[in-house]
Amino acid sequence: MTYILGIDTSCDETSAAVLSGYTILSNTISSQIELHKPYGGVFPTVAKLAHQENIQPVIATALKAAHLKIENLDAVAVTIGPGLAPALEIGIRAAKELAQKQQLPLIGINHLEGHLLSPLAQANSTSKQTFKFEFPVLGILVSGGHSQFIKMDQVGKYEIIGETLDDAAGECLDKIGRLLNLGYPAAPVIEQLAKTGDSQVFPFPLPLTTRYDYDLSFSGLKTYARNLIGKMDDKKLDRQTLANLAASSQAGVFRHLTYKLDKLLNYYQNSPAQTPFKTIFVGGGVAQNVCFRTLVRKVAAKYELPIHFPYNKRLCGDNAAMIALAALWHYQNHHFADIQALERQPNLNFKKS
Amino acid sequence: MKIIDFNNSDAQIQALATLQQGGLVIYPTETVYGALVDATNKKAVQKLLNYKRRPTGKAISIACSNQKMAEEYVFLNEQARKIYSIFLPGTVPFITQKKKKTAPGLTNEKNTLGIRIPNHAFLLKLISDLGRPVTATSANSAGKKAPYSISDLLSHLSEKQKSQIDLIVDAGTLPKNPPSLVIDTTTSSPTIVRDNKNIQLEKTTAKVEKIWTDSDEETKKIADKILKQNFSQLEKTGLIIALDGPLGAGKTVFAQGLGESLQIKTNLTSPTYTYLKEYPYQLKKSTGVLYHLDVWTINEQNTFNLLEVEKLVRPNNLIVIEWFENIAQFFTPTSPLLKIKILPTKENIREITIIQL
Repeated sequence: MTYILGIDTSCDETSAAVLSGYTILSNTISSQIELHKPYGGVFPTVAKLAHQENIQPVIATALKAAHLKIENLDAVAVTIGPGLAPALEIGIRAAKELAQKQQLPLIGINHLEGHLLSPLAQANSTSKQTFKFEFPVLGILVSGGHSQFIKMDQVGKYEIIGETLDDAAGECLDKIGRLLNLGYPAAPVIEQLAKTGDSQVFPFPLPLTTRYDYDLSFSGLKTYARNLIGKMDDKKLDRQTLANLAASSQAGVFRHLTYKLDKLLNYYQNSPAQTPFKTIFVGGGVAQNVCFRTLVRKVAAKYELPIHFPYNKRLCGDNAAMIALAALWHYQNHHFADIQALERQPNLNFKKS
Repeated sequence: MKIIDFNNSDAQIQALATLQQGGLVIYPTETVYGALVDATNKKAVQKLLNYKRRPTGKAISIACSNQKMAEEYVFLNEQARKIYSIFLPGTVPFITQKKKKTAPGLTNEKNTLGIRIPNHAFLLKLISDLGRPVTATSANSAGKKAPYSISDLLSHLSEKQKSQIDLIVDAGTLPKNPPSLVIDTTTSSPTIVRDNKNIQLEKTTAKVEKIWTDSDEETKKIADKILKQNFSQLEKTGLIIALDGPLGAGKTVFAQGLGESLQIKTNLTSPTYTYLKEYPYQLKKSTGVLYHLDVWTINEQNTFNLLEVEKLVRPNNLIVIEWFENIAQFFTPTSPLLKIKILPTKENIREITIIQL
């Protein structure tokens, strides 16, 4: 069994995780859990970007929860980008120290690759390795910070075939939620409210219908919502209207995604110039939205494609387990980093087709 | 028409007496020579209007010695109060809803009155001694050149106009502080009525400009224009552009315009979740980085510090910060700062205010 420690400090959260092959033994995220006090002094915090304080306690917690000692690890994997440079730096430095001290190979991972492969992760309770699947895989990455369609010919070979021109899908929902005074982050609240709402009450426009590519645009939906809400009398915003607005906003955002997805699949599955996709992987924070999953499953069914989502909510957001998982293939192929030379790449992205 | 030297010890007394008698005094202000009459004296104001030959319906500002005096003559709403405390005493006249006491002819058709509390010690004393506001209009004839010297002024006046003047207090050639900005506080957010050159804010000088755009393309063109205007500053010390405005105002569109202006091939997308995205650029012989930040979710000093923004400020670096107002209190820029405020108004129109500190 290959034991890999993954570390991610690309943005708000400090995360560390231990995987045994594809199986998650632990997945520790600073804002999600009560952390122990392994060291007397500085107590870890749920504050954003508090990587300096959190990194050691988070790593220690991940190892403890996995019932694994540092000495048993086979490799250390760390996110090198994309993300905030000073934040990435802290994870990278901790990973380097560990790798050096324990004489372990160090693997630098693209955070987006982690999201893309996150459906492969298995819970500890299952006994199987992971499900069988075929390439090429269509990756759908939808989160607060990213919205992309990715063609994966094999692990390590990625190409963007469509992405957002402005806001990300999750961001759009968060901001509409902010306009409705639902707090931040509002997307989960919108999901809740939408369950009792009627999405037909406020039909949203469909963006980018005249373009022949698979790019996305959500800022127009945000503006539409803003104008809509702006015209409403504050008193008229009762619970039902709020629910209807939530349902309609979600419907607007998801319809844009599935519309483009359908167009994309229509082309790739039928064009003689392209190898048709064999599988769909969905990752990112929006992947936890049940309504979204249902809609995307429908499109997948239309093209008779197997579709996989991360098995729990934690794997959808930013987390280190997906990093350790992505590292498995790199480990098997000996893609090890030069410990001295490994640098953060805040702008990292897949290449565009 | 009598002329007395400003430094003459009698000058103030004579000016005061002339005003009290309803006369018209040409007096130096902190910008140009002003034409002063007692604003509460009907005949004096009529004299001034004849002198100015201003089209009817255009308001004439009045100068008060302090806010207390101003309040006797105009209604100060919350908006006005806030701005008064920032801008006055100063050269900025404000248009406010008028109460009764000033003589007719000074207000425009909306019954609003321009108020100034000048930043000029002698003028303030004059007004204070008079106990009433004086008109604060520039001494030139409507539409004629702004007068920085008496000879300049007189050469543009008709004999009839000269005969309206009772006293000229000559302080030589005044330093070139251009005529001021006029701000209307009667609307819910202050609107600049007359486009401006420079206003004096204590010791700092701010240049304010307003532009309206009706499309994303136009907004980007403005961004390009602004960047080009400030390009040498960018090269010299680096430049910080603060972008503010409500959700959906078009801040990111503006930033995209800046990116296009620097010929950055990558499309700038919203950095809300990553806080900061960087885009290296090369334009002619300048090589630098555009740092695109979004501090929408940041409301604490500690969190802001973790972004290490000061490290980014270098020659050739353009730092664009969306939602700057969220962190303005946490950040003292060492480089020049350009403040852009984008407000959606009717339909597709965006009102862009540019403040150069």
